Amino acid sequence: MGPRVNKDMGVVAAALDYDAELMLRVKDGDGASFALLLEKHRAPVIHFVYRLVQEQAVAEELAQEVFLRVYRSRSSYEPTAKFTTWLFRIATHLALNWLRDEKHERMQERLDDGPPDFPAREVSDRRPSVEDQLMYQARLAEVRRAVAGLPEKQRAAVLMHKYEEMDYVQIAKVLGCSESAVKSLLFRAYETLRARLAHMGRI
Amino acid sequence: MNCPMESHDPEMLVAYAAGQLDQEAVAAFEEHLSGCPECSATAADQMAVWQALDVWETPSVSPDFNRRLYHRIETEMRLSWWERLTRPFHPLVLRRILPLTATAALLLMAGLILERPAAVAPATKGAEAVRAEQVERTLEDLELLRQFSAARPGNNEHRDAM
Repeated sequence: MGPRVNKDMGVVAAALDYDAELMLRVKDGDGASFALLLEKHRAPVIHFVYRLVQEQAVAEELAQEVFLRVYRSRSSYEPTAKFTTWLFRIATHLALNWLRDEKHERMQERLDDGPPDFPAREVSDRRPSVEDQLMYQARLAEVRRAVAGLPEKQRAAVLMHKYEEMDYVQIAKVLGCSESAVKSLLFRAYETLRARLAHMGRI
Repeated sequence: MNCPMESHDPEMLVAYAAGQLDQEAVAAFEEHLSGCPECSATAADQMAVWQALDVWETPSVSPDFNRRLYHRIETEMRLSWWERLTRPFHPLVLRRILPLTATAALLLMAGLILERPAAVAPATKGAEAVRAEQVERTLEDLELLRQFSAARPGNNEHRDAM
């Protein structure tokens, strides 16, 4: 038997999929609804793709393609699944295809050269010292390398689970596999990450 | 409760670290952790991983993201029906089909060139006549060269020395 998850998550999942309603309006020619969907999901999609491909310019380009495909598909759209499931399925498909085309070695080279898209970061309410920044960069590089080292499906599953807070059912639908396969993917992924990153949390 | 590690159900550990268990489940699991060193160590490591992953922030989105997207949408709306129909194949054509076609064409040309002597085989008499003429001309050229080099003074000395 699986763990009893927080009831609030179930309530959210069971709630009416407002996004699907918006998409149906887009289907009827309502451009404002598309703008709402874009505003709501733009950042999560870009961030998810960014963590998969680890290059900001590529992530934005792929995210553009995701929303372009959403717009193109408006006339044939049927709300058979949650809107975000459909959206992330497109995003995952495009990102994994890009990774397969580019090969992992190139990404690894970039990682070894240091993170080019290092986000600006403030530590608490003071300006971060050089030491803070260096420490943060080193930790970030380690996390990025550890995640990049995961097999692509495990990587996608971890990113959806950790950062997008998706449940097993939704991850399974996005990846097109069973719920038990997702549990197995996640367990193996976290096992690998525990071996590589557990020491960081103990610092 | 059953030990998640022994019952091969580590989902509990992941859900615990992710804060996805309800209060009742957390209490039961923590009670188990207090008596199970293996689960306790794994749960601590999983929590550490969860915290380590929090380090990874993402860069902010480009301010012109929407503008670029709407520009692409507008461009697409202006495409003809044929361009829209063939658009999905464009990347495939450029990336895979075009290089394959080029390679196949090169191989075909190479094959044709290599096969050419066999293809012109029936014209043997004419070809033989041409070849005999060429050989004759080459021999004449060689003879001329030999005479020319024999006539050079350096070569005479060399011949005398021998």
